[in-house]
Amino acid sequence: MRNSVNRPPTPDAAEDPGKEPTLQEIINIKLIESGEKERLMELLRERLIECGWKDEMKALCRAFIKKKGRSNVTVDDLVHVITPKGRASIPDSIKAELLQRIRAFLVQAAV
Amino acid sequence: MSSKINHHHHHHRFNTQIFPPPCPHLAEFRARNGSKPFRALQDCLRVKPPGGRAAIRRDPSEVPRCGACGESARPRLYACLACAAISCHAPPGPSHAAAHATSMPPGHEIAVDVDRAEIFCCACRDQVYDRDFDAAVVLSQTATLKSATIQSAKPENLRKRRRVDYRPWSPDIRDRVLMETGSSPLENGSDLPRGLRGLNNLGNTCFMNSVLQALLHTPPLRNYFLSDRHNRYYCKKKNGVSNSNAGGKRNVGTADGHGNKNARLCLACDMDAMFSAVFSGDRKPYSPAKFLYSWWQHASNLASYEQQDAHEFFISMLDGIHENVEKDRHKPHSQGHGDCCIAHRVFSGILRSDVMCMTCGFTSTTYDPCVDISLDLEPHQGGSSKSVSTKTHHSCNGEVDGMNPGQNCGISTLMGCLDRFTRPERLGADQKFFCQQCQVRQESLKQMSIRKLPLVSCFHIKRFEHSSIRKMSRKVDRYLQFPFSLDMTPYLSSSILRNRFGNRIFPFDGDEPDASNEMSSEFELFAVVTHTGKLDAGHYVTYLRLSNQWYKCDDAWVTQVNENIVRAAQGYMMFYVQKMLYYKASENRAVS
Repeated sequence: MRNSVNRPPTPDAAEDPGKEPTLQEIINIKLIESGEKERLMELLRERLIECGWKDEMKALCRAFIKKKGRSNVTVDDLVHVITPKGRASIPDSIKAELLQRIRAFLVQAAV
Repeated sequence: MSSKINHHHHHHRFNTQIFPPPCPHLAEFRARNGSKPFRALQDCLRVKPPGGRAAIRRDPSEVPRCGACGESARPRLYACLACAAISCHAPPGPSHAAAHATSMPPGHEIAVDVDRAEIFCCACRDQVYDRDFDAAVVLSQTATLKSATIQSAKPENLRKRRRVDYRPWSPDIRDRVLMETGSSPLENGSDLPRGLRGLNNLGNTCFMNSVLQALLHTPPLRNYFLSDRHNRYYCKKKNGVSNSNAGGKRNVGTADGHGNKNARLCLACDMDAMFSAVFSGDRKPYSPAKFLYSWWQHASNLASYEQQDAHEFFISMLDGIHENVEKDRHKPHSQGHGDCCIAHRVFSGILRSDVMCMTCGFTSTTYDPCVDISLDLEPHQGGSSKSVSTKTHHSCNGEVDGMNPGQNCGISTLMGCLDRFTRPERLGADQKFFCQQCQVRQESLKQMSIRKLPLVSCFHIKRFEHSSIRKMSRKVDRYLQFPFSLDMTPYLSSSILRNRFGNRIFPFDGDEPDASNEMSSEFELFAVVTHTGKLDAGHYVTYLRLSNQWYKCDDAWVTQVNENIVRAAQGYMMFYVQKMLYYKASENRAVS
């Protein structure tokens, strides 16, 4: 990774040789590098639209903004309020499908 | 520099939405960074794969991670616009992005989301919008893709229709005298709405009757003819001489024996006569024989007593009305504009089609006028990538539907058809498209959208399937749910493009700074043409919605029906009118 010229002198944890990357991190990097993460994201987006999850979240956001007044809401407020509901209402079938895809990727990538 | 910011302030009203002013941190950032505050970012914009989302990467293969904690799997990673440091932001947990902003001297508040290419103010903890930034993202996306628009086909501009305020009018004494001496009032003896009159079947002509019933009650078309905008006597007098020549030549071509006798062919005149007859107050079934004869002359290949396709008839007769006007005026009329014949003024919209090369990202855009939208009822198995979606996999037959009501499983809906119509479709190896940039046929991505909505939208459901492989045709009897009120906003080009580019302040195709746009995407159903029976032998019936009551028009018989019967019917053509032109129950009271 190239450092920007103006980069502040913060320690870069990832490049710290003393620290071993965790398995989760390795998988994440593999997913990104292969472009599989992008494909998974696109698949997930499509599924969430199809099952009505996106519309449901949109309605929740609208209701929240209406309640608080449109100039008194930040994106962070929305994320804070909606995230728990959003996570809880993702259909299990979609989670299973993504898990299946990730497993298949790991087998094929021989991680 | 302040001039630049002021300039910015003037444009907050955009596409009918009012955007909040930039936060003080963004304004400060712009003031500090000269005329091109986002120039450094331009080189970091990546779009992968072609047609994908814009992301920020200094290097194409970079895996961005938080500089403070080393996390790369956080959903929100921001790159500081002042120093390019990447930090995570995961409220309500710790925010290294916010910490970065406060630990640095002022100027490090504004950051860009690395996966979405959207800007964020870490001090306000809110998304912020900048027109220059958004324009840079959209343009770089389209510039690297070298997007091309086939200019000739682009609608020059859909003239903004000026809104004219409604002014009620009531006749003064002079008007009243004129009206009383010059006309005889129509009687509306029954409680039935005006213009409800059966049409006699003239020998397998239910395909025609069903479409004519829908057209007779198409609000803008009805208003046009009933307000005498196409007077058949006047048209005859005006065009009698000049047209008989043209008509004569035409009839030789159509191999019609008695061309001289009935030389003048004008479908609009026949429509005018029919409107007069149907709205005369007479309730006895009417025989549209004159119209049928004229249409036979216009479409000689369809002139027979055989059963015809209602949709084919619809297209052919609109074409007939249009053609006549073309002939009349001897000047080019581009379809899709407001200044064409009445048929196109009412029914014509513009479709936009984008085809993107999957290899180089080159996009070619074409615009095509249309008088209706033909929708697939069921995606073909295999082939297109669209059929992979779960929706179609979950499709089940009617019997299963009854078992789990309330669930959307298996019930096709008109909105579902429209979603599929506007969804990007991969044109695979078997249907490669010639890419102008690669100069070879490439796999590509095609997406349709609606550039301009017509006043009246006709949706044609492809129930008659012709398979060239099996050399046979069949009728698809599947049920399709259709709403009485329909919002077309998601299928407009502006919405489709907006989805493609993320949250941007940027004028997309079809965005007009006119509030009427928003209203005109809402539609009300007013007629459904249904088909029962098989491919080669069946019957067309039309349901009409007048003053919010449904009527079944089955050739000569007109009966009042419950709306549930309409909902359960097998729709073949659905006619929707822009909500602002739809007359609700008030219509009757206004008449009396």
